[in-house]
Amino acid sequence: MPSLLFLAAFFIAPLFVILEMSFQEGRLPLEGAGVFQNYQRLFADTFYLGVIAETVGLSVVVTLVAVLMGYPVAYFMVRHASTRTYDLIVFLLIAPLLTSIIMRTFGWQVLLARRGLVNEALLALSLIDRPLGLLNSPLAIVVGLVHVLVPFMVLSIASVLQGIDRRLEESARILGAGKLQTFLRVTFPLSIDGVGTGAILVFMLANGSFVTLLLLGGGTLQTLPLLIYQQFNTTRDFPFAAAMSNALLVLAVICLYAQLRLIRRRGV
Amino acid sequence: MTQMAEETREGWALATFTIAFFIFLIAPILVVVAVSFTSVSYVSFPIQGFSLRWFWRIVEYRPFLDALGVTIQVAFLSTALAVLIGVPSALALVRSRGSFAEIAMTFLLSPLSMPMIVLGLALLFYLSALGLGISLISLVIAHTVIGLPYVVRTVAGVYRGMSPDLEESATMLGADRWQVLRYVTLPQVRPGVFAGALFSILISIDNLPISFFFGSPSTNTLPVVMLSYLEHQFDPSIAALSTVQMILALVGLLIIERFYGLRYLGAPT
Repeated sequence: MPSLLFLAAFFIAPLFVILEMSFQEGRLPLEGAGVFQNYQRLFADTFYLGVIAETVGLSVVVTLVAVLMGYPVAYFMVRHASTRTYDLIVFLLIAPLLTSIIMRTFGWQVLLARRGLVNEALLALSLIDRPLGLLNSPLAIVVGLVHVLVPFMVLSIASVLQGIDRRLEESARILGAGKLQTFLRVTFPLSIDGVGTGAILVFMLANGSFVTLLLLGGGTLQTLPLLIYQQFNTTRDFPFAAAMSNALLVLAVICLYAQLRLIRRRGV
Repeated sequence: MTQMAEETREGWALATFTIAFFIFLIAPILVVVAVSFTSVSYVSFPIQGFSLRWFWRIVEYRPFLDALGVTIQVAFLSTALAVLIGVPSALALVRSRGSFAEIAMTFLLSPLSMPMIVLGLALLFYLSALGLGISLISLVIAHTVIGLPYVVRTVAGVYRGMSPDLEESATMLGADRWQVLRYVTLPQVRPGVFAGALFSILISIDNLPISFFFGSPSTNTLPVVMLSYLEHQFDPSIAALSTVQMILALVGLLIIERFYGLRYLGAPT
């Protein structure tokens, strides 16, 4: 099959090239260190360990926020919306996915600026007495990333909520469970696969993102993709960039494995 | 009765939340559209004055136009390649059973799960070693890798939902394999091919993490030029360009919706 050959040649082979490159001597060769010196540098230096921690930490926060924001919307569209509203919601979720990442980041730059709409609104409501420095902060990064990724979460959760047998909830109610109890003990556990699918996807995409961090973060958070971008653009230490890429790749493979297990469990 | 009231209250609360959610989702996009019509040379919102000068700036600024040409070529060439190699695989894998088919399908979709920046870096070194280096061909190959999964997924999705009865009838009536493919299978999966191709085009046009590794004055795509422009200047021309791009993508989305529906595109399965 030509497509399998194509991917073997232009997807798998390049990954081996980058693996090989990560074993070469980098810009700052360590005395007497072997082929693993780039990895030693990555995992021994507290700065780079911090970078890895920030990469994963940021993705965890973005994923949690996306679940908290996405779940109620998914619940509303499946349980309360009319067919027309449902279609409208699907359209509104997908349409932003087709605008460029640059456009959305630019939009947040305008909204979060010192004299931007968000600051002006907070001032008008007297919640603050002088404009906040919202841009170039971890907060701006989280807002920007959640904005890009939350539609995936809503769609994943909604697709599972749709398949839940509502008689199970009715039974719980008849047996005397309250509304909240029914949700926590019946509905939510039944929808956990959708939350999981969405969470893995969002986590994976957040791990690899760098445009948002570059334009909204102003260097307040250092993550692996951002550092790879900088290594490529300025330092040009390619073997070290290759080692960082492989670290990122391992994270992605773990996510992919989790995703496959979840899909298999759902029996799709 | 109280349960009904409770249900209604829950509905209203969730509706309010959903509306707030969509304001969050749509506001940054609308702001950019508004900024592109400003008449002043700095970015501010609400905008001051109304003019189309920033749309003219797109046409006047040479790198934008050059990049637009590159972007369109790369998008269409890579999509053509992805359709050419992806459609036969999708058709073959859907109708075959067994673990090989399952593994092959997972493999074909796996570029979706790779961090693009890793893929970009790897492809740059690999294609440079092959002597292709930073060129239009390299860009087309790299974009085909990321477009292929979309084509395979949508075509496989449509084909899976089709009953094999028609194909079997055609075979029983004496059609050979090519005739079945040409006159029965392909016409039926055409919406899937069409949607997958359109999606692959849109993904290619918007790609930044791979394209920027292959950047040079003759191979810069639009997002690459826009990013470097944004890093140095902050004026409304980026807003105008984004608005034009969005309108084109929305037209594409409406076309997909007409021919195919949005069901298969959003939900990641």
